Amino acid sequence: MSVGFIGAGQLAYALARGFTAAGVIATHKITASSPDTGLPTVTGLRKLGVNFTTSNKDTVKNSDVLFLAVKPHIIPFVLDEIGPDIENRHLVVSCAAGVTIHSIEKKLSLCHPAPKVMRCMTNTPVVVREGATVYATGTHAEVEDGKLLEQLMASVGFCIEVEEDLIDAVTGLSGSGPAYAFTALDALADGGVKMGLPRRLALRLGAQALLGAAKMVLDSEQHPGQLKDNVCSPGGATIHALHVMESGGFRSLLINAVETSCIRTRELQCLADQEKISPAAIKKTTLDKVLQESTSIGVKGRISLLNSKGTKSKN
Amino acid sequence: MEQDLGEIKVGFIGAGKMAHGIAQGILLSGKVCPGNVMVSAPSLNNLGKFKDCGVRTTHCNTEVVRVSRVLFLAVKPHIIPSVLQEVSAVITLQHIIVSVAAGVTVATLERLLPTGVMVLRLMPNLPCVVQEGALLFCRGSQARPGEAGLLRELLSSCGLVEEGRGVIDIHTGLSGSGVAYVYMLAEAMAEGAVKMGMPSALANRIAAQTVLGAGRLLRDSGQHPAQLRTDVCTPGGTTIFGLHALERGGLRAAAMGAVEAATERARELGGK
Repeated sequence: MSVGFIGAGQLAYALARGFTAAGVIATHKITASSPDTGLPTVTGLRKLGVNFTTSNKDTVKNSDVLFLAVKPHIIPFVLDEIGPDIENRHLVVSCAAGVTIHSIEKKLSLCHPAPKVMRCMTNTPVVVREGATVYATGTHAEVEDGKLLEQLMASVGFCIEVEEDLIDAVTGLSGSGPAYAFTALDALADGGVKMGLPRRLALRLGAQALLGAAKMVLDSEQHPGQLKDNVCSPGGATIHALHVMESGGFRSLLINAVETSCIRTRELQCLADQEKISPAAIKKTTLDKVLQESTSIGVKGRISLLNSKGTKSKN
Repeated sequence: MEQDLGEIKVGFIGAGKMAHGIAQGILLSGKVCPGNVMVSAPSLNNLGKFKDCGVRTTHCNTEVVRVSRVLFLAVKPHIIPSVLQEVSAVITLQHIIVSVAAGVTVATLERLLPTGVMVLRLMPNLPCVVQEGALLFCRGSQARPGEAGLLRELLSSCGLVEEGRGVIDIHTGLSGSGVAYVYMLAEAMAEGAVKMGMPSALANRIAAQTVLGAGRLLRDSGQHPAQLRTDVCTPGGTTIFGLHALERGGLRAAAMGAVEAATERARELGGK
């Protein structure tokens, strides 16, 4: 089985690293493509032994499981480009926030009657094999396809199937979650430094504290509220600190964060559905390259396919 | 010391709401006959309620002391010194003195009483009047576990009875005053309902029952309140939206702050 990544950014890199660390796939069976060869992640992927190319079509050709690991607004272009190359064996897995299975199937169905599509939302800790992944199954994907994806993603963390309408909430929670944690850890370390700890030690201890606490929550039957109580000796240091946090609206902030990320994801989805992409957002190189290739192969028809659908015009 | 409560004589100096609530609770337990309970008060005003329970009444504090073994001091804190001065002569080492006066420490009581007398300090709260009190007591230097056990048994039908050391002021802040916090919450919730279009009287009845029902469930389920809370929250449902509003409003910090403020005030008043 070969795995391909359209896009060679943070997500592709994290997944490739995770998969290879887990040993579920050999690096030479992985292909990644991107128009931008200057990305640090491209260098990283090459170092891993992943086959890197600037041709998305090559990636598609060399893959069975095809991850779409590009930004949401690039997805439509990518789909238009690779649509004709999708075959029965391909399992297209979109990792793009806010991009619906329906919109992907709609585009791919222009070229292939029953494209197998799945949508997943994962997060960056896949790189250390502690990812949180959910996936939803498309119209034509089989049970085995779900099992295959689950096998892949479970090798790099927790993976579970969900109904597609929950994915935006997942994005807000575990998709963005690591960023909340990084912010918290940075600040906790600051607190340690303020009270006299060397920075490196402070960061190490803070991270271990969160790691340990998370593990306790995952391993325990007890409610996190109960676990919190277990740590707070009467009149002690911890309960004083917690009061400070409550006074600052800590909980509310976290709820707001998850909500905001989820809502923004939905907004982005709406934007994508309207397929209104600002000129600045279009990665010039992508479309240019596509047009170049099309011209050299002499398939002007493909250009008209792009234009005649009337949804994207090169501004 | 006999544990046969049936024979024990209980007395109250002071006949106010708290005394009445506790007395009723004691009688409800069925362990003490009304005839073995005596209460004294300077005027007739409050004694009627006690008479109705079959309890003996008097205007003479020393009489109550003489016929009782367990003696509840249920007068206002500033009256305590004069009452103790009045009855000290007839207090013996067999007596068990239980003070219900807010802010009067065990140390103060022991100072005002003859040496060696057994003293316990009891902090009830308002719902004692309906036998759903939260009562915390602590032992003075001469009161032994036996006396604590006796008091527990007597009060068993008054509500929750707990023994503590050094936490009476916190109990005041949490549960003595805490009753008022709950009333405030209930009032505000009802106002929210009125804002949304519900008639006020209905809103208040429902708010009261909501507090009561939630309270019973909390007490009887044995579960952590956080668990009960999350159990009520269906994903994307109404409750989580409401809770988020409360978090945004800083309810938790406010509640913690309230208990803290009231506790500190209790400590101040107790002269600590």
